[in-house]
Amino acid sequence: MFELDVRSRKAIYEQLVDKIKEMIVYGVLQPDEQLPSVRTLSGQLTVNPNTIQKAYRELEREGYIYSLQGKGSFVSSSVEHPNAAMRDEIRAALVKLIAEASYSGLSKADMTLLFEEAMARIEKGEPHD
Amino acid sequence: MIELNQVIKAFEQEKAVDGVTMQVHKGSIYGLLGSNGAGKTSLLKILAGIYRQDSGTVRIDGQEIYENMDLKGRTIFMADAPYFFPQSSIHQMAAFYRSVYPRWNEERFVQLGSVFKLDVKRKLHRMSKGMRRQAAVWLGLSCMPEVLLMDEPIDGLDPVMRQQIKNLLFQEAAERQVTILISSHNLREIEDLCDHVAIMHKGRIIVEKDLDDLKADTHKIQVAFRHPDHAKAMDEQVNILHEEQRGSVSLFIVKGNREVVTERFRAFDPYLLDVLPLTLEEIFIYEMEDAGYDIQPIVL
Repeated sequence: MFELDVRSRKAIYEQLVDKIKEMIVYGVLQPDEQLPSVRTLSGQLTVNPNTIQKAYRELEREGYIYSLQGKGSFVSSSVEHPNAAMRDEIRAALVKLIAEASYSGLSKADMTLLFEEAMARIEKGEPHD
Repeated sequence: MIELNQVIKAFEQEKAVDGVTMQVHKGSIYGLLGSNGAGKTSLLKILAGIYRQDSGTVRIDGQEIYENMDLKGRTIFMADAPYFFPQSSIHQMAAFYRSVYPRWNEERFVQLGSVFKLDVKRKLHRMSKGMRRQAAVWLGLSCMPEVLLMDEPIDGLDPVMRQQIKNLLFQEAAERQVTILISSHNLREIEDLCDHVAIMHKGRIIVEKDLDDLKADTHKIQVAFRHPDHAKAMDEQVNILHEEQRGSVSLFIVKGNREVVTERFRAFDPYLLDVLPLTLEEIFIYEMEDAGYDIQPIVL
């Protein structure tokens, strides 16, 4: 279900939080769908159960999931769009990418064209790669 | 729950454990890291009730472990080199463990047999180092311990077995709330196994923290300042563990909140600013350097 990069410098619980958020935002995990239990996930991913518990707590705190006593964790129904923190991250990544593109010789016109093409594709609902 | 308070243990004049205070919560997997000869094994042996501390208190679930039969029956210590009786097989060792540990679970021993796939009739001294290690884990887990003390447990295991044993430990922690204390200098192993770590050096604990917090708290910053004076000015503003100059790019290892630190650097409007989290290995090396144990540039 998830792929974690144990070689990444990012903490494992952070990776888990990001992955689950992504899956919720893109609708892979539907509202009120049950998340795998801490025990199952720990076995599947070979990750410390306390780390998974921590990731779930964080997701609950941010309102992505809710938990029912004795039943497990479920996806909240209120999540619709990436939150502000995620937008900031994307913005920073875009700025960096634009800078790199500009150094590598892409002109402003090239980039504008690319941007318009990409937007057109999204509006038509074509999958992006 | 394991609690140590100002524990000191000396051999002759040498203090192997020098005033250690730490807490390990129930169900936690705790990693004990340290330089060679830092006192990791001595500390584990005190916790196992093999050594008696010279001063300070050691409590496991509120009780003293030394000469405490009941508590020792619930505690398993796996030494760095597993010991078995001469000429014995797993079958014979299991009979011994059964007679000593009151919580021995035969059903579990049989279940675990499907994991380890070792011949119980074969003599242990004819097995490889890794196989003996597996046998020690097999026997240890069959005793249904509440506290598991492991000295270099992953040493000598192949990657498949390593994952297998990790999974077993995770299950123990999640399902039975076993408290697990692991010593190692293989940082990669600790990194994805433990939730808390302590770094020991010369008998003392120099860092003790939630592993994720430790990682979130230390940053590697690559920066190219517009003016060399800017680098000097940073000294007063942030907590710098390490500083290095590579051409026009400065490398800083900084402790503190990520946003705050980044903001401080950004204030000088540098040409380049990259903030990276550290691997546990890097944290270990820089913390050790701070404690006066660093890598000397050697040219032979």
